[in-house]
Amino acid sequence: MTSLALACVLMSVGLYGLLTRRDIIAVLASIEVMLGGAQLLLAAYSASVTLASAAQGVTLIVLATIAAEAAVGLALLVALVHRGRTRTDQIEEVRG
Amino acid sequence: MSVTLLWWALAALTVAGAVAVIATREMMRMLLGLGAFLLGLAGFYAWYGFELLAVAELFVYVGGVLVLFLFAITSMGRDREGRSMERRLDLGALGISAGMGLVLLVALQSTLPAAPTAVGASVEDTAAALLGPLLPYFELAGVVLLVALVAALAIIGREDAR
Repeated sequence: MTSLALACVLMSVGLYGLLTRRDIIAVLASIEVMLGGAQLLLAAYSASVTLASAAQGVTLIVLATIAAEAAVGLALLVALVHRGRTRTDQIEEVRG
Repeated sequence: MSVTLLWWALAALTVAGAVAVIATREMMRMLLGLGAFLLGLAGFYAWYGFELLAVAELFVYVGGVLVLFLFAITSMGRDREGRSMERRLDLGALGISAGMGLVLLVALQSTLPAAPTAVGASVEDTAAALLGPLLPYFELAGVVLLVALVAALAIIGREDAR
């Protein structure tokens, strides 16, 4: 119960940051907090199952996916900074 | 008793780091908060008996992603003004996020087991699981990482070509 409550608090904190922050890097960090909360829940409840080793493997794969998300997000951030845009409300077009 | 105390200390570190991420104006302080949050997560993994996951969290996040964030921040602006961020209190967003947290808590409380007990998993068993039944997903994670790497290079390379 306490692990579940902690994960829900982390998800709420991350969502609040995602909704209120306008700087792209703060939005990315808020997404990291939300994903961290989800990953904590996965780890907390998979520790008690019989196939805990497989659960740890799944959590590792999720960790790799989140790292890939962070890499692409930060590359987009650097590309936007080169164009002089650091806030989400300054992005007006999504074009390749 | 001391184990419970350790759990609450980790929870305090993790939540304080998360709050620092959304509440600070300075980017470097936000990064420090994110570092504390990630260290707290790694501590939780070790507490649940997932030593491999705790070490991977330290290497990949604290050692990799956090440095990547630091690199992005240093490339953003040299002056102090360029590294400060807007911070505002939005009661609507507060209500939405608190409501989502409550809905998650109520929805998951009925489906998840009551209290997880730390069993843990050895590195050998995890390796056997990753290279056994989880092999397709493990390979898929590798492909996702490769595609992300190529995408990041393509995004940065296109900006440099302009």
